[in-house]
Amino acid sequence: MVKRAMQEATFLILTALAAGSQHGYAILTDVARISDGRVRLRAGTLYSALDRLRLDGLVAIDREEIVENRLRRYYRLTAEGGAELAAEAARLRDNAAAAFARLGGRAEGTGA
Amino acid sequence: MTDAAALERGYRRWLRWYPASFRREHEEELVGVLLAGSRAGQRRPDLAECLDLLRGALWMRVRPSVPSSRRQVFHAVRLLCFGAVVELAAAVTILATVGDVAARVPRGDPGLTDGQWHAVVAGHVEPKAVAAFVAVGFWLWMAWSVGRGRRWTRTAFALFFALNTWSLLDGLASGSAVYARADLAIGSLLWLIEVAALAAVLRLAPSPRVD
Repeated sequence: MVKRAMQEATFLILTALAAGSQHGYAILTDVARISDGRVRLRAGTLYSALDRLRLDGLVAIDREEIVENRLRRYYRLTAEGGAELAAEAARLRDNAAAAFARLGGRAEGTGA
Repeated sequence: MTDAAALERGYRRWLRWYPASFRREHEEELVGVLLAGSRAGQRRPDLAECLDLLRGALWMRVRPSVPSSRRQVFHAVRLLCFGAVVELAAAVTILATVGDVAARVPRGDPGLTDGQWHAVVAGHVEPKAVAAFVAVGFWLWMAWSVGRGRRWTRTAFALFFALNTWSLLDGLASGSAVYARADLAIGSLLWLIEVAALAAVLRLAPSPRVD
């Protein structure tokens, strides 16, 4: 079966976790930073995505902390999640390379 | 009550829409994330936050209990959820177009007395509106059942489709002033979604029941 492209939100959440475990709010701010402010996830959307990623085995709970009487749960990328992210990143890189190659000089001034 | 306490209470009120199992595991954590992302002086959740939590809660209630590699199941569940949203829009449309329908009934049959006219309007519009609101729940129930591999869902949805098709054809065949144009438009859209959903549900490979 042909594998479908990963949704952008999923890609960004996995990317946020690639450098180490993070708690929910840190993931939200990191996703906004990685996407240069273009993607701003809301809490409900994030937790729906984390639930699905945990079910798929791509993300796992790393640890819990209590900070200022609030529970903070940290999430980490699993080995399978890292492999999926790497495969998707490679696919995007190859597609981008093909697009830039065909655009030639027209890609100038796009920050590429 | 402080701003933060009022806001927290507001968030917790919206989190009640989530399943109990999810709240047991994530409510405290999610409240912390929501408060961390709130604006200074904010006293209640804003509209976008409420809609996001409502959508998240709905999805957590119906989301399939299978990995997303089973894309056909996810496709069917999303289609059924979309059907629920359009069905809700249809119910609202039926209520919003009561005036149009009422205005058209006398033109269709000018011989009606006032009492008969009221009976015709009430007899057609009210059951349709009630049925549409009940059907919203049915669509969501189907989504929940499909996500858990219930095999009887195919039969139940096929019967629902047959009933709705018969009802739509019967309404059209009888004339009918009992449909406003907007009702017909959204009814036709809903029927097309039903066709797609039925195809998606019938295409699912039988799978072990998942709870």
